[in-house]
Amino acid sequence: MQAPRLLISPSPHIHTHRTVRSTMTHVIIALVPAFICSLWYFGLPALALVAVCIAACAATEWAVDRWLLGRPATTGDLTAVVTGLLLALNLPSSLPWWTAAIGSVFAIGVAKMAFGGLGCNIFNPAIAGRVFLLISFPALMTTWPLPGEAFSADAATGATLLGRLKLGEAVDPALTTADLWLGNMGGSLGETGALAIIAGLVYLLAVRVISWHIPVAIVATVALFDALIGTHVGIDLLSGGLLLGAVFMATDYVTSPMTRRGMLLYGCMIGLVTVVIRRWGAYPEGMSFAILLGNAVTPLIDRYIRPHRFAAEARKEVAA
Amino acid sequence: MSVIFITIAVIGLTGLAGAVLLYVVARRFSVEEDPRISRIADLLPGANCGGCGLKGCRDFATTCVARGNLAGIWCPVGGQDVMDRVAAIIGVAAASVDPLVATLRCNGSCSARPQRADYDGARSCAVMAAVAVGERGCSFGCLGCGDCVGVCGFGAISIDPSTGLPVVDPDRCTACGACVAACPRHLIELRPRGKRDRRVWVACSNRDRGAVARRTCSAACIGCGKCARTCPFGAIDIADNLAYIDPALCRACGKCIDGCPTGAILSTLPPRPVKPATPQANETTHI
Amino acid sequence: MPIVALDLPRRAVLPLSQHIGAPATPCVAVGERVVRGQMVAKAAGFVSAPVHTPISGTVREIAPVAMPSGYPVTAITVETDDTMHEADTAARLAQIEADMQPADRTLSETLTAEQIRRRIADSGIVGLGGATFPSTVKLSTRPDAAIDTLVINACECEPYLTCDDALMRACAPRIAEGIELMLKAAGVPRAVIGIEDNKPEAIAALRAALSDGWPIDICVLRTKYPQGGEKQLVEAVTGRRIPAGALPAAVGTIVNNVATAFAVYAAVDAGRPLIERVITVTGDTSVRGNYLVAIGTPIGDIVPAITDGCKVVLGGPMMGRTAVTLDTPVTKGTSGLLVLEGRPRLPEQPCIRCTACVNVCPMGLEPYLLANLARRRMWPEAERHTVTDCIECGSCSYICPSSRPLLDYIRLAKSTVMADIRARNAKK
Repeated sequence: MQAPRLLISPSPHIHTHRTVRSTMTHVIIALVPAFICSLWYFGLPALALVAVCIAACAATEWAVDRWLLGRPATTGDLTAVVTGLLLALNLPSSLPWWTAAIGSVFAIGVAKMAFGGLGCNIFNPAIAGRVFLLISFPALMTTWPLPGEAFSADAATGATLLGRLKLGEAVDPALTTADLWLGNMGGSLGETGALAIIAGLVYLLAVRVISWHIPVAIVATVALFDALIGTHVGIDLLSGGLLLGAVFMATDYVTSPMTRRGMLLYGCMIGLVTVVIRRWGAYPEGMSFAILLGNAVTPLIDRYIRPHRFAAEARKEVAA
Repeated sequence: MSVIFITIAVIGLTGLAGAVLLYVVARRFSVEEDPRISRIADLLPGANCGGCGLKGCRDFATTCVARGNLAGIWCPVGGQDVMDRVAAIIGVAAASVDPLVATLRCNGSCSARPQRADYDGARSCAVMAAVAVGERGCSFGCLGCGDCVGVCGFGAISIDPSTGLPVVDPDRCTACGACVAACPRHLIELRPRGKRDRRVWVACSNRDRGAVARRTCSAACIGCGKCARTCPFGAIDIADNLAYIDPALCRACGKCIDGCPTGAILSTLPPRPVKPATPQANETTHI
Repeated sequence: MPIVALDLPRRAVLPLSQHIGAPATPCVAVGERVVRGQMVAKAAGFVSAPVHTPISGTVREIAPVAMPSGYPVTAITVETDDTMHEADTAARLAQIEADMQPADRTLSETLTAEQIRRRIADSGIVGLGGATFPSTVKLSTRPDAAIDTLVINACECEPYLTCDDALMRACAPRIAEGIELMLKAAGVPRAVIGIEDNKPEAIAALRAALSDGWPIDICVLRTKYPQGGEKQLVEAVTGRRIPAGALPAAVGTIVNNVATAFAVYAAVDAGRPLIERVITVTGDTSVRGNYLVAIGTPIGDIVPAITDGCKVVLGGPMMGRTAVTLDTPVTKGTSGLLVLEGRPRLPEQPCIRCTACVNVCPMGLEPYLLANLARRRMWPEAERHTVTDCIECGSCSYICPSSRPLLDYIRLAKSTVMADIRARNAKK
């Protein structure tokens, strides 16, 4: 009998079911509450914006892979879809679709693919896209339709809560704590509904896509620092992009540190910078810039904060 | 108006102070270096391939100057031309080395060694060699994952898809030796290019007994010794069931090639004019 | 799953190198008649182990055979005939019967440590967990080493394997006897059996066997991989951490597998050398189960109907080695046979820095970094990042969502760096 032609390979011979694609699917599922929230408050423009961003991100990645790099397209891993979704949730619903498309092309084309594609980018693409738009189209990017007027032709607009605080205006007395938790206020698509984002966080923790370290470090730092300098802790935590950033953007695998202790440091740094920008900087909102700065120091953190080696204490004795 | 003058004065003075500081530092902390070192370094190819056995081109230049002679130092990439000029700078007579070329000592193509298993793992010969003998069953032969291709800094090696074996482009090969070090089976040898680029070598490294080797690969050297008996110059030696042609003695006459029963000896000699053979002879020699 | 005694093979292939150390030297000639249990190759030095034949018959050949990797190793081939086969089978049944009996504790009283070590050495016992280190060497402790605990690994080295579990359920008293003999041989006062909490029947069997006056404790551990790794086990059982590059003796312990303890009983009490072992057969095959298999049985005799493209793994799914040919025999270190059909690796994707490999590494290494250094052949950097600490458990490759072959490259870096270190030390 002819001997069978066997398969040979190095160990291990089994593999987990988790893939990049399934991880990204989990992230998308975790973003669904925030997405529904944005539809509820901002209506069809929100849906259009999400569709444009996802389509533009995926198309950019496909085009760069196929035409510029001449390699099989990696769009199937769904990372570009997540980038598009996150970018859209970071934009005001009144933003024209072409602006959103430009932001998406920048996010994928420049912030991700120019660095070598998935895994090689230094900065979170969605944040980079948002900041690019914020700098290029400041007026469009800081016009915030108020929720509740979703389906009227010309929605009322106003400054965000943080924007008003920055200008020294008083907080609208009609705004309740419930409004803060539910996101019934002006702001980007996805950053308004605190409860929806926390639901996403719980899901991501439950399926073990992220660990608690980065979100908790950011939120705790902001709360402590705010308490210390005497700002409205609640408003700082629940309005603006803090929660969305802490749960979905700062936790981006590629641009955050590799160790648990590094993640805590990274989170603290982002929290500190956010409060500093919000309190003393020129912009009312500082989360995006804080995350970009955190991304920039991630390689440094990884260089100096390393995991505990097994029996590290014994190694030191040997060396001494 | 005075603002402008004050500005000019401040910037000018700052610049001046900086220039003085830089000058003092440069003088004080300057490192004395033999000027020959940078002259030699400028001559070298600058690929830092390590083919000389030193840490890079700069190290090569420093070593030349420090030793004051060129014994045992050779830049395989630059070759005779560069070494002559380096010798002129040092002020010694140039050494001369036969130019070398990387030569694969395996001819186990897809047809000679049928596939016996499928490998599913990192595409690296070194990884595969640690897991198993490879897909083709020979524990001495080429694994075909192209570690040598990856380390070649000159693009001289490529895998021939029809044979599954690496091919060295002699025009590009600089004999830096990177592939020699990378091959986990130690199949690549730097051999002299030979007069008029004529060279003959045994393209096999199998040290198994003849019968075992033959079972694995139809192109294996079986150590029969026929070539050694044929060679008029005594250049061929058999050790561990494997023939080796000593390039120092070989005159590239090609007599051994025809006699080899498995066709394990390869050469760069031009194809000989085929003698008009009788049909019978054709039948018997046909494989 | 009870243990099934697989029929003795008609032909046994006995490699001379089934252990760490010098290959054994044949002490029989081709054509010679041998009987079951006879030594056919003797130990070549202190770190070496003899080889015995599990079947009576005639020595047919002493020649290289392909090991699982396909690389040849010299082996002695013994062939039997019908009458001898029947006699062997009958003798074996009687032995199996005796193995199930209660422990005999008189031997550890009457025999001296030296006598026990001698019998263990003569019986060719090596670590049966997979490391195959000769057991006498481990048990010959220096007095100044101050060993206070013998740790018995009952953790089942890898997922899918249940051979140790099955052995403990069937023969717990004899295992206890073997442990006590090992304690005597090594001059160690106490033993702790480290066992994972997913084996309640085995724990109950051990508790019953150890009901009165044994110097042996049971330590129930959380089920996780790699709990059976030497360093992880010693830490879990004693709280002591073995430093990098050191042996368990550095923290006053010796580690032995539970199957090794049983082999010690068989050698010292039953006078039977290491000629059989329990292996787990599992995966995509119809003959899943735990089997008592004669060492030297070709694996093709155990797992039938293997087709093209199948993977046959000797050992477990995390650290086992694939076989190139089915002619390769079961050796002392084979703890399992795993058949995997049509499960090729997924294509490799870029690293997304998800930290899964860093979090899972039991040694606290950075697998993503080490693999990248190895790919770029940056060996000194890999050494600085302590690639030599890697225990090759495979957790990083298993967990990687991008299906990167992390361990493939880390193993390459480890072996290259180890060779560099050896070369440097030789130069000194």
